[in-house]
Amino acid sequence: MMEKGVQRWVVDISKWDPSTNGFSFALSLLPQHHHSSILRFVKKGDRKRALISCLLQYALVHEVLGIPYQDIVIKRTSEGKPFLECGRVCFDFPNFNFNVSHHGDYVAIASEPLCLVGLDIVCHMIPEKETVLEYVQNFSSCFSSLEWNQIITAGSNDEVLSEFYRYWCLKEAYVKAIGSGLAYGLHKVEFHHTGWTNISVKVDGILNSQWRFWLSYLGKGHWVSVARGHPRSAIESYKRSLKQTKFNEEEYNEGLLLPNPRFVLRTVEELFSVIHKAKCSCLSS
Amino acid sequence: MASLTGVSLKLTPLSSSFKPTQVPFLGVSNVNSVSFPSLTMRPGSFRIRISCAAKPETVDKVCKIVRKQLALPADSSVTGESQFAALGADSLDTVEIVMGLEEEFGITLEEESAQSISTVQDAADLIEKLLEKKGA
Repeated sequence: MMEKGVQRWVVDISKWDPSTNGFSFALSLLPQHHHSSILRFVKKGDRKRALISCLLQYALVHEVLGIPYQDIVIKRTSEGKPFLECGRVCFDFPNFNFNVSHHGDYVAIASEPLCLVGLDIVCHMIPEKETVLEYVQNFSSCFSSLEWNQIITAGSNDEVLSEFYRYWCLKEAYVKAIGSGLAYGLHKVEFHHTGWTNISVKVDGILNSQWRFWLSYLGKGHWVSVARGHPRSAIESYKRSLKQTKFNEEEYNEGLLLPNPRFVLRTVEELFSVIHKAKCSCLSS
Repeated sequence: MASLTGVSLKLTPLSSSFKPTQVPFLGVSNVNSVSFPSLTMRPGSFRIRISCAAKPETVDKVCKIVRKQLALPADSSVTGESQFAALGADSLDTVEIVMGLEEEFGITLEEESAQSISTVQDAADLIEKLLEKKGA
């Protein structure tokens, strides 16, 4: 039952090149109040990603929770994290929540029925204006000395970049799970792993065993990280949006130890179809 | 605060359909505003902001750094009103922009204040405030 609340979807938007009308149609599938937050992006690629990200949220909430389209209320915290407003709609999961990420060719969404979830996509982009070492040096204060050492001694430029992006991506997933922004103190969140599996985190030097992390390869040089952790770690503004943040050990482990499925590839057309149908069934009822 | 000139009071409701859940905070830096964006940007929230508007040259320099970092086409408009997230800055870009600004102006942006910046104007205002402090 709880397993159904664990979702991992990804969309490859590289092949979706809508005309102005095509884009308008896609936009019309979303409630009016989301339009300006999508249209204000200057670059077309960013607008596309923002639009698909929003569609993914509606599609997931509708499919997994069965909430009718017109009853879905998605808002953002003051830090910008989207969340589903519970309101008068009850659902079966103790603390359903989700997170989205987009970068390059991919837009992805992850949801959990109990634990917090955060995700981040990185693209292995090679810096153009500076050397790899110069580039990563910009971010050195965001890493613990252990992590930094792993990065700069990784080997070739490609290997250094790869280490860098993967550590970054994990930190982002954690920070996004708790609802924070680009936080100070990223260097205090230290990741440990064996070959990028069995990933664990130490916060301020203390191992936090209530978190799990996974890294997987999406394709075309893109990696995605997923973080799953205890709702009490959420920052205040995000905590207020959560249904339940206190759990006893047994309850919490039910959520923590759920499987972490692979990302499922959904197409843009499928998303349109799901939402279009959901909208129409609202209109006819 | 007493030495501020050209103070402007701005009340900016960004979305009329959004119900504010927080009382707007009156001050130079708004603790309720979104952090320097790594998440996608925030929608409507009421902000009351007393700002000492930065010199146009400072705003221009910030625009230039942002343009370069985000590889924006020459014809795209970047002004004081431009939001970093809307220009396409992701979390990595944000760190690099902050570093670029620190280098250009010879200042250090504290994490907490960096988190209250969401537009080019915000950045320029904060930079001038820091330069003023430095010069004093």
